[in-house]
Amino acid sequence: MSQLAIFVVLLALGYGFGRMAESRHYRSIVEREQRHARISTLTLRTLESEPATVRRTQLVSGNVVISVDYFKRVAAGLRGFFGGNVQAYESLVDRARREAVLRLKESCPGAAHILNLRVETSSIYKGRGNGIGSVEVLAYGTAVYFDVE
Amino acid sequence: MKLKPGIESLDTDNVNVSHTSPLREFAILLVSAFALLALVYVLLGLLIDRAVDWIDPATEKAVFGQLSSALDDGTPPTNAEASLQDLVNRIQQCLDPGYQVEVDLVAESAPNAFALPGGRMIVTQGLIDQMESENGLAFVLAHELGHFANRDHLRGLGRGVVLAALSSIVLGTDSGLDAVFAPASMAGQARFSRERESDADRVSLGALQCHYQHVSGADAFFRALKTAGYGDESEPAYVHFFASHPDVDSRIASLKRLSREAGYASGRERPLPEALQ
Amino acid sequence: MMMTNIETVPGKTISSCFGVVSGSTVRTKHAGRDIMAGLKNIFGGELRGYTELLGESRDEAIRRMQQQASQLGANAIVNVRFSTSSVAAGAAEIYVYGTAVVVE
Repeated sequence: MSQLAIFVVLLALGYGFGRMAESRHYRSIVEREQRHARISTLTLRTLESEPATVRRTQLVSGNVVISVDYFKRVAAGLRGFFGGNVQAYESLVDRARREAVLRLKESCPGAAHILNLRVETSSIYKGRGNGIGSVEVLAYGTAVYFDVE
Repeated sequence: MKLKPGIESLDTDNVNVSHTSPLREFAILLVSAFALLALVYVLLGLLIDRAVDWIDPATEKAVFGQLSSALDDGTPPTNAEASLQDLVNRIQQCLDPGYQVEVDLVAESAPNAFALPGGRMIVTQGLIDQMESENGLAFVLAHELGHFANRDHLRGLGRGVVLAALSSIVLGTDSGLDAVFAPASMAGQARFSRERESDADRVSLGALQCHYQHVSGADAFFRALKTAGYGDESEPAYVHFFASHPDVDSRIASLKRLSREAGYASGRERPLPEALQ
Repeated sequence: MMMTNIETVPGKTISSCFGVVSGSTVRTKHAGRDIMAGLKNIFGGELRGYTELLGESRDEAIRRMQQQASQLGANAIVNVRFSTSSVAAGAAEIYVYGTAVVVE
């Protein structure tokens, strides 16, 4: 009985705080993405026509680890039972990747482009074996600074 | 090559996430999972009932006998134990589970009795202390013999094992889902258990009539439990939903009803055997 | 929508470039498939259920990336890369990204 009560409380907490954190995070992501839209990210290695002379280049990276909330974990577990798109984790993965790219951009505010952007994931939690889920993203690329904007 | 604004500049829906309500999805999934689990539980229950009917008492004794004798404390039976065994032997003439049931008395203050696979019955000292007449004690012993005769100890064991295996194979142990299904399967188990308890009560009442030619004192144990405060009415209703035994009042009532329907007589109760007093 | 994992589309020239577009999915198979995969672990061999799952996930991720590219008005995606993650056990998590461009 108490097990069920604890479960329901955790679920409600997970849902409430999870939703709150998620919508706040999305608002911040959208706002910052627009602010940094000037820095274009490309997966290309070179720019065919360069409008100005390159002042310098620099390897830049951004990373983030975002935790799963209890509600998402249970919902994903249920979805795993039936199969299909795991809706609960889709937004988590999306947030993590956009956040990592944003942090990469924020580390080089004066850059004109990020070339050869790569996005990698790691898995810190996997070895811990305590079932804590998290999304861990590392984004990296080459920032190019021009003499004239 | 001209650089143009990227995807961040568009004010369109995010294509990388689904846009249905997470609560709605969760509710649909939870309900379907419950329905599926209930179905599997009922089917497996039927399967176990069939399997239990197929295992005859001799096989049961051979398989579980070793486990059962491992529980034996090894000490020679005390006078009280011998007297209990004698009572069980007498009732077995009316209610035969197919093998000799051995009784162990344990020094435990909570009034209780158990039927273990392999024909071993455990009776606590607390139970003896609650009893005032032999008839009352005989009813409890006959109730446990009824479990043996109905093979309930095997059914319960089978269901427990199957449910545990099912939940760990299908749901995994780290998904948090076991927390959802544990109370549900507990409620399912409890309902099954209450049915079996009621049936054992019925069988036990028949054995009492057969042995004493009357059923007076059958509800002595429940009345004693009530005075001791075990069937407390202050418990909220949902507790009953998870209880493995029917509540004391309804058991007393159903005993009355059963004996009236079967036309069982009433008569003088015998005192407890001296060794048990 | 043309897609390449090199920096150009051979035979065509890139006239404009929109930046990175991406698609991601997290998908699972039902529990029955997971149990079968567990059994297969004893004997070895291809896990068809999971092969299928990976394929579905990949197609869905590519579809989402293409959707982003067409929202931008691009007609090709160059230098496409795949990446995976692992949040949920038994789930295929595919992330695909590339540069949306217009080629002529």
